[in-house]
Amino acid sequence: MARLIIPHPGHFPALKELIEVKEAEGLNEVDEVFMGGSPDVMGSGRGVLHAPLLDEIRAQTEYAHQHGIKMNITMNSTCPAGHHLSFEGYKMFSWYFGALNKAGVDAVTVSEPYLVELLREYPMKTVVSCLAYIDAPQRAQFFEELGADVITVDTNINRHFDLLRGIVRAVTCDVRVIVNEGCLYKCPFRFSHYNLASHLSSLYQPRTPLFAPDFYFDKCIAIRLRDPTQIIKSGWIRPEDLKAYEAIGIKDFKLSGRTKTVNWIIDCMRVYSKRSFTGNVLDILDCPQMLRYLFCIENEKLEGSIDQWQVCKKICHACGYCDTLTKEALTYIK
Amino acid sequence: MKGEVKEGRKTLEDELRKLVGTIFVSEAKVFGMACGCVGFAADLRGLRSDDVEVFMEKINGILAEISESVGVEPEFIYARKLPGSDEVVVLTTRELCDRCKKEFAGSKAPPRPDILVMKKKG
Repeated sequence: MARLIIPHPGHFPALKELIEVKEAEGLNEVDEVFMGGSPDVMGSGRGVLHAPLLDEIRAQTEYAHQHGIKMNITMNSTCPAGHHLSFEGYKMFSWYFGALNKAGVDAVTVSEPYLVELLREYPMKTVVSCLAYIDAPQRAQFFEELGADVITVDTNINRHFDLLRGIVRAVTCDVRVIVNEGCLYKCPFRFSHYNLASHLSSLYQPRTPLFAPDFYFDKCIAIRLRDPTQIIKSGWIRPEDLKAYEAIGIKDFKLSGRTKTVNWIIDCMRVYSKRSFTGNVLDILDCPQMLRYLFCIENEKLEGSIDQWQVCKKICHACGYCDTLTKEALTYIK
Repeated sequence: MKGEVKEGRKTLEDELRKLVGTIFVSEAKVFGMACGCVGFAADLRGLRSDDVEVFMEKINGILAEISESVGVEPEFIYARKLPGSDEVVVLTTRELCDRCKKEFAGSKAPPRPDILVMKKKG
C-alpha cells in the first residue's frame, strides 16, 4: 500500500484537524506527518513558523501515535555553518537526537551527510531530505551506506524515470518522491535559495539586514511570468499519476507545504489520497502559490502527459512537448 | 482615504500605548490581494501575543473601528507573530474572498502557527 507523508505546520490544533479529517474520510494511505524541529538546534530548508519544544513534540507524537500516524521531525538545513563538526555541535545534535528519540519520534529528516551518519546511533528512521539532491543511483548508494533508511529524491528527477528506476534498484531502503513541489526544473537558484532559507531559519543569521531577502523567490516568479512553460516543466506529479511511480517500486509520496494554511494542506491530502483532482493544478502546488491567481492549468487537460514524461530525454529545446502542452492546457485568469 | 489611514495609524498606536505601554506602529495600509481579499494592516513593534490575548476585545474594537473608517469590513481579525516567538509584528483586518473564507479562515485551528486569530465572523 502507498504511504502519504503530510506536512504539518507545527501547532497542535493543526495536527488534530489533519487527523480528524483523515479519520472521518477514511484516508487510509496517510501514514506520517512531518514538522520542523527547534530552530535553536538547526534551521530548515523552509521557513519555520513554529518552534516546538521537546515537551510539545512528545505530546504531539503521542497523539499522532494514538491515531496510527508516525511523527517525523524535519531538520534539513543545507548549511549548519560547520557547527555540526565542532565538539559543541556534536554534543548538541547528539543530545537533541536523543531527546527526540525519548519523545517517541519515529523519523528525522536531514540533508547533511554527517547527521545521516550520526543518526545511525538511534532507532529512529533516518530520512534523507530532497535537499541532499539525490539525483542518481550512485549518490543514493552513498547515502544508503551512510545510514539512510529512506531517500527522498531530488525533485529535479521526478520525471526522469530511468534514474528513478535505477535508484530503486540500486538501494534497499525506501525511496520517496515529493509530489506537489512546483520549483523550477533545474533551477539556477535552488542551492543558493535553500542555503539562504537554512540560515534565515537558524541562529546563523547574516550579520546585517538583507536588502533583498526574497531575491531568489522574486526571480523565480518573474521567470515563470515571462515563460509559463516553466510551470509545466517542473517536477510535480498529478494525483492521477502516482500509479506510474508505484509501478516502478516507489510507495512513499510526500506532500510539500508545511508553511501553508491548515485547510490548504487538508485539501491536498484529500486530493492525493483520492488520486483525483478537477481544477487548476496550481491550487495544489506548494510553490509558487501566488501564480494560481494568474494562470489556470486544467488538470484534466494533462491526462496522458505522464506517458511522454516517462520517456522524456529532457532535451527541451529540441522537443517542444511542454511548450505545446502549455498552449493547450494553460490559460490566463482575467 | 489618506486621512483615515493616517489617523488610523495614530489612533491604533495611541490606544495600544494606553493598554500595554510603548508600542510603535511603523506603518498602516489598506491592501487589495490578487485573490479578492481586501484589508487593513498595521506593522508594529512592542506588542506581545499575551497582550493581545488579555486585551483582545478592546483591540478588536479599535481595529474594527479603524477598518470600517477605511471601508474594510473587519470579517477576520488576526495578529501575525514573528515565527517561534511571541512578538506580534502585524495586526490585520480582512474582508475575505470566497477562497480565503475556506482556506485561510475556515479551519478550526489557526491557519498557520504564526497567526493568532482574534475575531472570526460567523
